[in-house]
Amino acid sequence: MMPSFSYVRPGTLQEAVQHLSAKGAVVHGGGTDLLTCLRERIVDVQKVVSIQGLKDLYGVKETAGGGLRIGALTTITEVAEHPVIRERYPGLAQGAAEVASPPLRNQGTIGGNLCQKPRCWYFRGDFHCLRKGGDTCYAPFGENQFHAIFGSGDICYIVHPSDTAPCLSALNAEIEIAGPAGRRLLPAAEFHVLPEDYVMQETWLAPGEILTAVRLPPPPPGLRSTYRKVRARRSWDFALAGVALALQFDGDRVAGGRVVLSGAAPVPWRSRPVEDAVIGKTLDRQTIAAAAQAVVADAEPLAKNAYKIPLFRGVIEEELERISRP
Amino acid sequence: MAKDSTSIYYTEGLPVPETPAAGKAPKPWEQTDVIGKPWPRVDAYERVSGTAVYPSDILLPGMLYGAILTCPHPHARVRRVDTATAETMPGVRAVVGPETREADLPWSYRNVKSKIFPPVCRFEGEPVAAVAAETPFQAWDAARAIQVEYEILPHVSDERRALDANAPKIHDGGNKVKTETYSRGDVSKGFADADVVLEQHYRTEAELHTPLELHGCVANWDGDELTLWESTQGVYAVQSRVAETLGLPLAKVRVVGHYVGGGFGSKLRTSRYSIIAAVLARRSARPVKLFLPREETYLSMGNRPPSNMTLKAGVKKDGTLTALAFTCLGTGGAFPAGGTSLVDWQIRDLYRCPNISTECTDVYINAGPARPFRAPGHPQGSWALEQMMDALAEAIGMDPVALRLKNIPTVSQGRQGSPPYTTTGLEPCLTEGARQFGWAEARRSLGAAQHKGPIRRGVGMAASVWIVGGGGPPSTVIVKLFADGSANLNMGASDIGTGTKTIMAMVVAEELGLKPEMIRIEHADTGTTQYATPSGGSKTVPTEAPAVRDAAVQVKRQVLEMAADEMGLPVDDLAYEGAAVASRSRPDRRVPITGIEGLRKRGVVVGVGHRDPNPEGKSINPFCVQFCEVEVNTQTGEMRILRFLSANESGRVMNRMSFDSQVIGGITMGIGLAATEMRILDTEQTGKLVNRNWHDYKLPTALDVPADITSAPVEMPDAEANTTGAKGLGEPVTIPTAAAVANAVYHATGIRVTESPIHPLRLCSLLEQQTKEG
Repeated sequence: MMPSFSYVRPGTLQEAVQHLSAKGAVVHGGGTDLLTCLRERIVDVQKVVSIQGLKDLYGVKETAGGGLRIGALTTITEVAEHPVIRERYPGLAQGAAEVASPPLRNQGTIGGNLCQKPRCWYFRGDFHCLRKGGDTCYAPFGENQFHAIFGSGDICYIVHPSDTAPCLSALNAEIEIAGPAGRRLLPAAEFHVLPEDYVMQETWLAPGEILTAVRLPPPPPGLRSTYRKVRARRSWDFALAGVALALQFDGDRVAGGRVVLSGAAPVPWRSRPVEDAVIGKTLDRQTIAAAAQAVVADAEPLAKNAYKIPLFRGVIEEELERISRP
Repeated sequence: MAKDSTSIYYTEGLPVPETPAAGKAPKPWEQTDVIGKPWPRVDAYERVSGTAVYPSDILLPGMLYGAILTCPHPHARVRRVDTATAETMPGVRAVVGPETREADLPWSYRNVKSKIFPPVCRFEGEPVAAVAAETPFQAWDAARAIQVEYEILPHVSDERRALDANAPKIHDGGNKVKTETYSRGDVSKGFADADVVLEQHYRTEAELHTPLELHGCVANWDGDELTLWESTQGVYAVQSRVAETLGLPLAKVRVVGHYVGGGFGSKLRTSRYSIIAAVLARRSARPVKLFLPREETYLSMGNRPPSNMTLKAGVKKDGTLTALAFTCLGTGGAFPAGGTSLVDWQIRDLYRCPNISTECTDVYINAGPARPFRAPGHPQGSWALEQMMDALAEAIGMDPVALRLKNIPTVSQGRQGSPPYTTTGLEPCLTEGARQFGWAEARRSLGAAQHKGPIRRGVGMAASVWIVGGGGPPSTVIVKLFADGSANLNMGASDIGTGTKTIMAMVVAEELGLKPEMIRIEHADTGTTQYATPSGGSKTVPTEAPAVRDAAVQVKRQVLEMAADEMGLPVDDLAYEGAAVASRSRPDRRVPITGIEGLRKRGVVVGVGHRDPNPEGKSINPFCVQFCEVEVNTQTGEMRILRFLSANESGRVMNRMSFDSQVIGGITMGIGLAATEMRILDTEQTGKLVNRNWHDYKLPTALDVPADITSAPVEMPDAEANTTGAKGLGEPVTIPTAAAVANAVYHATGIRVTESPIHPLRLCSLLEQQTKEG
């Protein structure tokens, strides 16, 4: 039913890192994704390392510089409901609120949401695909209605399943990592791996490394952030298409910011064409229409996911309109 | 024993129904004190608190756990099964496969013969070998350790290609199961007479049954007697198939299914796992629990077949239907399993139309066999017919409700000899439903033409008839009245979650004047209750309730005879009043039930009731008309259902509370067909099922179902149908739902969604097409 594995629950970060350096060791945070991965035997597990005993990984704290540090074990519900996050980074709170279903949000953690495995049914199912060490990707000629329209590199067509990752990337957050070589920080936008870089891993965490926290910079002046997600049913579902906006407004004009898509690519997908279309402009009808065209200009749909072209246009149009009216 | 009669009798001081003379059927109830009221379930506490023992809760001393290794390919020859490693693994007590003598048993699907462990697997999920071990984990580890050598054969997984010349043959005779045709009148003349003729292709996707309780059983031998605790809709159906397959007398197979966590038709059939569990239990000399994992139930425990339909319809300007021509291609999977069963019934029977032709072709594909799925065939046919009616109404500038009212039949035209319906609820369901929904006003104020912005609202409706729903013999029910006046109801039928037990207790309560909580129910056990047909076809209430009523009447007659003896009065002079027996002529002569000497001495009075035949030359059918309002975001293709109303004519409302629950459940399920559910096979590559978990196979969630659902019963107690006047409800409530949603989406957007489900994937593409075409 499940592979046999040992289970440890270290009390210090150092011990945890040591355990995780062993072959076949995996992190157990909230466990919502790990449990299904074990049952579906898509990860080769010998040791499950619970990090739930690491106190420093819990909670949301304001940092000296005016930003926020969100511990990796903070639940998705806590992120969605935290008053400071809702006030200063509403896009992130919205992203968290759109995750899965209430029970999963209560159990799942922000760290786990960033590190979760993709939902591609060939990857999850009984198919020896490229991402599991096989020699083929089944998506391009198969049932690809939920697959990527960007960034596959013609190698692997998963879409990254996280709703919080695009928000963090748009908000210019950093990922705090602890590992055998000490601590390091990585921009959220650089945390996930494109298939062309390495097809068998979704994050740049090295063996033994743990995601310990997410750090948000102080909100720049005029920041407005939102997250919008479209799915096939209204709860307990991943994005067909979504967009995280974090735009700095100078009056009516967009002075800067980022646009990151979900449900689009193997990683949270930064849409430079949309950013180029809106930065320096006021969000009038023309600008929004141009941005909506731009979002899918480089898209490469497969046989069954071409609906994502009009869908992303619609999402961008709707969401830019919404953010233009504070 | 209760302290006084008031703690037992519900209707003390109120009249209970008159006891008919021997040999006479009771008259329909005129006034009721229990029946028709909202009554909480008799087993609500057990269900909610967790004390209800479902078959999957059974734990027996020494019980082992079974696991079935199934074929991972949609079509493969099993060349070799090596169980050597599995047999030596920890905790393993029995391993069986195609080489095991006592597992070498026949298994057939209708007329096509196969085996429990077939040499050629024709669908993914067919059993190849099985294990029993001390823990479920050991059983699954051992099953995985069985080495199987397969010769993978070419497969066909799309019914639309099954008849291609180069399609691999699934059975020796080819891939066609059969083509069935029906016709009446002259269709070409009908189209010639029409002012408007429309033709449209429609498709509904395959749906997978998803009862919360998995499919499975616990098997236990005591000598040569087998007991199965099985999650089933019919214990007697399981008993007969298991006895037949294992060569046992019926009396030696006891099947118990007190609770079942949902079935929706998929637990009407007996499955190979029951045989495998029995064989494992015999081989290990231990009880064996064998429940399938969800993935396996999705593969092998049935589905609502996909339907590819074309409908051509003719109508006159005044709304008179002149002709309907319908074709359907469907599949019941790898074996004969009713792939197009009843898909054409709405077309044949719902509206008055003299000229009709239907042609349904059922083909084989390499996928799990279909099983009845709540109103088999009906929602698919409704998806086509009711969208076509909507289109016809628009084409002749008529309101959709008005068009339907113009074509109300009073006879069942689809049946041989066109027998009249006992009651035709279609017209009152249309008018009363439309009134309560506010149809005319909503139709005017909403719709594509009324809105400028990206959010559009619309309303739609659809009507339906259910092919059966009248129930019928056989049924044998026993009611026992104890010395303290409380009663035991003993019936073979299963309560599949619809509230059957509660309704039957209400019938006893009504007839004997008892409080429902003074009735204990024994049911669904072939060892201790009487033969009953499986609970399905929306027939359980109209089948069992009259038999229960009859059993209660038999009790009353015997009590009256006892009292007549003791009181020295003629039996005709006595009336059964519930708490007491009283003389009609001498009101002072009155004996409490608990004071009847015969009852006290004997300890029990046993009434045996039977179900009488249905009236000859009549058709008994429930009708259902549903209305809904939807909102469509035309930028994103998101569709939200805002409200639903269901007008149901199902004869007498027996329990208003479970009646309304059925309406809500049926609409919820219909929303699954309309908007979220579809089986997806990897047709182009492996032929395997790709959406085999609850994330990928999308059941509607609470947010996909509107909070605003109105149940609007149109009560027409059907005195001809049976002695309770009730007809079926469980299936009618899900037939028109999907078509009503599609019609509302059309009203909101002007887009006719002819292929299910209506989710953003489909709607985005159609909206884009609409924009391009201007």
